Amino acid sequence: MSAVFKALSDPTRRQVLQHLQNGPLGAGELAQLFDVSKPTMSAHFAVLVAAGLIEPVKQGRTITYHLKLSVLEDALLMFAEAFGLQVTRTKAGKPSGSPHKESR
Amino acid sequence: MNPLFRLGRALLGAALIIGIAVVLQWLQPVYISKELSIRLMGAVFGLVVVVNSNAIPKTLGRRWRVQSGAAAQAARRVAGWSMVLGGMGYMLASLFAPPALAFPVSAAILLTALFAATLRVTRIGTSCPRQ
Repeated sequence: MSAVFKALSDPTRRQVLQHLQNGPLGAGELAQLFDVSKPTMSAHFAVLVAAGLIEPVKQGRTITYHLKLSVLEDALLMFAEAFGLQVTRTKAGKPSGSPHKESR
Repeated sequence: MNPLFRLGRALLGAALIIGIAVVLQWLQPVYISKELSIRLMGAVFGLVVVVNSNAIPKTLGRRWRVQSGAAAQAARRVAGWSMVLGGMGYMLASLFAPPALAFPVSAAILLTALFAATLRVTRIGTSCPRQ
């Protein structure tokens, strides 16, 4: 469950889940929707996959991500979006849920 | 997940429900009234529905997920929410509705949720082409 909270603590990851609620999307399509580097997006995807919130499906050379939220996780996502989640901050001021520095 | 583990978990859940029913039967009428016993059993049944329905959107098979895409995902989501809310409604009605109405109201709530979920899931094949 802590993996789910960690995954939902980051706004970018929450936005990824919200985009996937409209239907499955390719990794490239998802990455284009955000102003972050591809390695950063890959790290975000890895956190979401590890939490079991999305499922990567490989078709040829492309990876498509499918949403895999239970009702409780869906409700948690809505709650986190409405009220935010408590995220501990490191000395550098970055949220601990963030995989690494976002840059482009 | 290992099928044996899933079977074991299902049997444990069934044993737990039967155990609760036996304990409630044993407690009445000395420790709790027959009415409270029936209400508590209704709440347990509602909880079972909530717990099982929570996983509906998550248990979508990989093959089915790939073939059906967005429509199936949306249908499973609606079905999951419908059944969870139906289960919660069943629990609340079982616990708090007037004795004469508790069973009909809770059953009506759950059947409505089940009907809505079934309707939403069965409509996928007719309304949305497979991707």
